[in-house]
Amino acid sequence: MIRHLFKLIWNQKKSNFLLITEIFFSFLVLFAVLSFILYNYHNYTQPLGFKYDKVWQLWLSPNTDSAAHNIAVQQQMIQRVRSFPEVEHASFSNSNTPFAFSQMNAGMSYKSKKDVFSEVFDVQDDYKNVMGIEVSRGRWFGPQDNGSLHDPIVINKKLQEELFGDEDPIGKLIPIDDSTQYAVIGVVDHYRSYSEFDPEKAAYFHRINLEKDKNSIWNGLVIKVKPGAGVAFEEKMVRELSRISKDWTIEVTTQEKMRQSKAKVTTVPMIAMSLVCGFLIINVALGLFGVLWYNINRRYAEIGLRRAIGASSKQIRNQFVGEVLVIATFGLLLGLLLAAQFPLLNVFQLSSVIYWESIGAAAFLIFLLAIVCAIYPSRQASKIFPAVALHEE
Amino acid sequence: MIRNYIKIAWAVLQRRKFFTFISLFGISFTLMVLMVVTSFYDHAFGPQMPERESDKLLFVNNMREQVKEGYTNSGPPSYYFLNRYVRPLKTPENVSINSLFMPVNSYVNNKKLALDQKHTDAAFWDILDFNFVEGRPFSVQEVANATRVAVINQNTRKNYFGEKEAIGQTIEVDQVKYKVVGVVENVPVLRLHSYADVWVPITLKSQDFKRTGLRGTYFATIKAKKASDVPKIQEEFATMMLQVNKNKSKDIKEAFAYADDIFGTFARTLLGGGKTDKSGLLYAILAFAAFLFMLLPTINLVNINISRIMERSSEIGVRKAFGASSATIIGQFIVENIFLTLLGGLLGFLISAGVLEMINDSGILAYANLGLNLRVFAWGLLLCLVFGLVSGVYPAFKMSRLNAVEALKGGSK
Repeated sequence: MIRHLFKLIWNQKKSNFLLITEIFFSFLVLFAVLSFILYNYHNYTQPLGFKYDKVWQLWLSPNTDSAAHNIAVQQQMIQRVRSFPEVEHASFSNSNTPFAFSQMNAGMSYKSKKDVFSEVFDVQDDYKNVMGIEVSRGRWFGPQDNGSLHDPIVINKKLQEELFGDEDPIGKLIPIDDSTQYAVIGVVDHYRSYSEFDPEKAAYFHRINLEKDKNSIWNGLVIKVKPGAGVAFEEKMVRELSRISKDWTIEVTTQEKMRQSKAKVTTVPMIAMSLVCGFLIINVALGLFGVLWYNINRRYAEIGLRRAIGASSKQIRNQFVGEVLVIATFGLLLGLLLAAQFPLLNVFQLSSVIYWESIGAAAFLIFLLAIVCAIYPSRQASKIFPAVALHEE
Repeated sequence: MIRNYIKIAWAVLQRRKFFTFISLFGISFTLMVLMVVTSFYDHAFGPQMPERESDKLLFVNNMREQVKEGYTNSGPPSYYFLNRYVRPLKTPENVSINSLFMPVNSYVNNKKLALDQKHTDAAFWDILDFNFVEGRPFSVQEVANATRVAVINQNTRKNYFGEKEAIGQTIEVDQVKYKVVGVVENVPVLRLHSYADVWVPITLKSQDFKRTGLRGTYFATIKAKKASDVPKIQEEFATMMLQVNKNKSKDIKEAFAYADDIFGTFARTLLGGGKTDKSGLLYAILAFAAFLFMLLPTINLVNINISRIMERSSEIGVRKAFGASSATIIGQFIVENIFLTLLGGLLGFLISAGVLEMINDSGILAYANLGLNLRVFAWGLLLCLVFGLVSGVYPAFKMSRLNAVEALKGGSK
């Protein structure tokens, strides 16, 4: 039966050519869009490793070049922020706080592993409390690190795997340049802060020591506020702070808002793509439906003859649905030939699981589409009375 | 003749309503998507308020410094560079230096307004066509004196002052008080070089002027006397850059900056900021993407058209038997098809007007004012015709080759 169907379609390949191309392109479009969506969804379901609830973000930038003065102002500001009763915790950091549009990277080497690319987060001891980070091994920074010989760092599991493999990372020294070494003191399971839709990258936290470092200005300041702190407190805080730092630019926002605007970067294209893809598919479905309908009408006589020599209406229906599925299979096979190159050649660095998943989902949708479009015209065909059809002929 | 064809087309459309619906749905939605994209393009790069004379405008928004092999730093240029090298250029009619827009906060009635602030000179108002609703721009004198005056947009005016008088009142932004001198129509956020909520004199940031590095936080907007001067300005700019590279500090190997039109600046940033103008390449990529997008609906339409026309094989047979040539038949079907596409195009216009309205209201883009103007309309019409031709030629060709005798029999193999 199936062989017969394939033979039928193959003999008609010229007139079915357009339908096959249509299925082929629909499959590729579905594959591309589904890969994109599945990739983002997959990342979205991974743990972030921190909590952004009730966390506010301040951006501080001095407008003068006098370093010594700015350092002093910076010290005063963090002290003032911490003294507000509404503030639970506060920590300076670089500009790459969660959901910010800024990234900092460094290459790290350990023994045979050279230049492992890692995100760098400069933070104070309080950062752990502000962001609710949990250390799974070793410990977080503390005052005891003030006198330590090597700068302490806390790494995430991803960096641990890439740099140390199976070795125990705690206490290991990583050479940064000729005179500096970092000592690993702790490991966090997860920390991916750039976007909810981004995969986790190797990352480490480096401790800010305001006592020792007399050169750096830290642009980011994250604070955890108590419940109920609102715009009134925000205004008060900004007023107080600009009194301390006369000509600095101070900007306040919440991490929730930053998360939303960062999420938009992914969700808006995703929605636009899904809409366009959905429209293309509906378009194709309607077209398929129309063409099938027409084809079946054209084969009126053939159906009548088959009915007359004893084919049941169920058999007729199955034949037409089967033919459509065979056409869909031809289109899919062509598409698969192309789509399979993505996981095989590792294009775009997506994990091959996502590619295979989207190939599967796209194929399923195409078959579903084909069946739905075929059912109505096929039922029409199966209702043809042999006598009427043959009489017309 | 054509009137006859159109009459036939209309009759055919009414006969098979379902097929007509499929065709019109496909055409109108495809065109709708293309129209929305064109409208976005026009919104971001076309001549729109305030960059209305876009063919005369050039922008300098990036300075790339090559530090050592393979390492580059890039970002907006500094005031020093723009003031010392770009402002004295001889070919342009006028040059404006303005800062990037910076997010600042303003508090009013226990509410927070997140505003974008831009520092500009007086030339900015001459070069660009802002629509002043009230008041005036700030003057050369006010810029020179670093007077605390501000031009605000309508949205800020509404949120800060409500129904009350705005001109002459003070607005407190980032803890600094400014006197409002003018209110302009909202500028869409995609106009990166002009957009802001609050514009204030550049001299209020004079502490930046002394820094002699090449990179900073400023843009330059250059206006040519006439559109044909643009290549001459770019040439002079390149010569000037040679001078810059002679005087630069030793840490930098080479510095690159270019004056491009809006699309050019975008293309250069998007495609990796090379030495050549990337507009052509970006246009090619966009055209290819549009082609890919149109491919599926076109195949679909061709498919449907073939089915529709096949039904009419006996009609073709009769016409052929009475001596119509293949060319006449192809002509008839193409006219019919273009008629159908134009009908779909009309529907597409209506739908896209609705969709654009929805995008404007959704607030995805601040102050978006996407609309169907004459330019977009012309683009849409062109797209319709191309679409109609592409999807009509193949079926018509196939039909015209039908053998008269077989066609008359009503069958086709």
